[in-house]
Amino acid sequence: MTPDALVPLYGFVEGDTLGLLVLVRTTDTIARLSFVLQEAAQVRVAHDPQFVVRHRDLRLEPTLTVAAAGLTALDRVDLVREASA
Amino acid sequence: MLKRQEWLDLARKLDWTYSYVQERDVFPEAMSGRPWLEHAHWQGWDEPYRTTFAEYVTGQHEKEGAISAVRDAVGKVADFGRHDRAWLSALKLHGATLPLAEFAAVIGNLRAARFGRDSAWRITAAFGALDELRHTQIPLAVLHELVHWDPQFDWTHRFFHTNEWVAVAARHFVDEMLLGSNPIEFAIATNFVFETGFTNLQFVGLSAVAHAVGDRMFEKMVQSIQTDEARHSQIGGPVLRTLVEHDKAYAQYLVDKWFWRAWLFFAVVTGFAMDYLTPLEERKQSFREFVDEWIVEQFERMIHEYGLERPWYWAEFQKSTRYYHHLLYASAYTYRATVWFDLVLPSPEERAWLAEKYPESWPELAPVWERITERCRAAGPGMEWFTHGVTPVGFCSLCQLVLCGGTPGKNSARVVEKDGRRFVFCSEPCAWIFEREPERYTAHRTIVERILAGEAPANLIELVRDYFGLSEATWGKDAHGGRYPFTVDAPGGSAA
Repeated sequence: MTPDALVPLYGFVEGDTLGLLVLVRTTDTIARLSFVLQEAAQVRVAHDPQFVVRHRDLRLEPTLTVAAAGLTALDRVDLVREASA
Repeated sequence: MLKRQEWLDLARKLDWTYSYVQERDVFPEAMSGRPWLEHAHWQGWDEPYRTTFAEYVTGQHEKEGAISAVRDAVGKVADFGRHDRAWLSALKLHGATLPLAEFAAVIGNLRAARFGRDSAWRITAAFGALDELRHTQIPLAVLHELVHWDPQFDWTHRFFHTNEWVAVAARHFVDEMLLGSNPIEFAIATNFVFETGFTNLQFVGLSAVAHAVGDRMFEKMVQSIQTDEARHSQIGGPVLRTLVEHDKAYAQYLVDKWFWRAWLFFAVVTGFAMDYLTPLEERKQSFREFVDEWIVEQFERMIHEYGLERPWYWAEFQKSTRYYHHLLYASAYTYRATVWFDLVLPSPEERAWLAEKYPESWPELAPVWERITERCRAAGPGMEWFTHGVTPVGFCSLCQLVLCGGTPGKNSARVVEKDGRRFVFCSEPCAWIFEREPERYTAHRTIVERILAGEAPANLIELVRDYFGLSEATWGKDAHGGRYPFTVDAPGGSAA
């Protein structure tokens, strides 16, 4: 993967009705990914500071980069509220 | 002179024993379907209608006359103009998704009229082909009248010729079921599952709703079509009976596969109409109640009569009758510019009705509508984009519909890697169908894959205009322009 490449991901926000396609960069943080996904879903689900990002049953630290978290094109990521994470 | 019942089989049972060619060459497995059985196994094929050609022509002529009379009386623009805008959207949805699918069914029936394994089957399929041609032409003719009045009705003809996402999904479904299936699979998929199992949703359920809303044209049109469907759907039963006798596992597979695919189709076409696009005061049953009565009970009894089991995903299917069309409708409302019909924001009264009808699922769905309503109220009338998504969405690699499986709390989509390529499935049955016959499906690319390959624009406006073929005049909007009593402080007042 080239540095700072675009990574398309399938994102699912808890409480939402569908899966979204979001584009992030490998250098973006997980916190940025969370924001992008919440923006994409905001018509149906309000932003919530309780949201955390999960990938394959693992909670991803907000400070990690997309690359460091091991996310690759068309992975599934979930935004879930802390209580249900 | 012979009585009807005495001569009928002389005109229907016309097969002879081949001596110059092999039966396998006349009916090759690739065209006739598997398991390949000698004609002796099919020669008992029969169905209850046993229609003669003379009866067919006379009956169809009378039906055409009746439809023409209804059209002359109540099928004009002025008649349609009296209907609720939401109901017109139900007509646009039905009108676009069915007529050209019926035309594909002409071809499926014609293949059976040539390669079906018994002459009575082939004759009934020939009538079926004529039926489906009629079902193509009636809605095209009736709704064409409305194009100059409302350009969204142009999608009655245009829909299947576009790359609009529902059209991509509809083509994926009908191309396989109606154009790409051999007569055995066609008989199980179309005649048995789709026409016997599901079309009551349209022909009984939606017809009753049309009666309630006073749409006599639609009501009479679907009732007329139903009389044909009831006859040619009978092809499926005797084919299934022979199939069960010789390859029960394959029969079960075909029923399981096509039940799921048909369910997803009707959840969109009928689910939207019954639970959202019919005026509240005219709703008699919820979509779920209708599915429970006409699909769950009847289909379950029917497949047991053939010695088959319920599809393995039955629990998932039953749960999806509480969620799936709701998730899809809310998604479609917030991406309404990507479809060719207008959608409505459910009122508090409608949401109370939905809460009563869907006690298991509505508590999870209500917050979504509260959020959308809040944004509609904040934006004020006419501000379509404040309640509209701007990010591309994911599509299932099998059904090609939006990833709306599962529940708001737990979407059931699953990403699968195969031969270095990633596929995403909205549900386990879709993944299972794909994995059973990957050679049928892997070449097809979802809209997301087309975007990533640079064939379709990622920008939503460009995608809608340049790739889906919609324009500002035709793309879906809020049916009432966001002007609802519950989104403004007072009639004519400003947004809260």
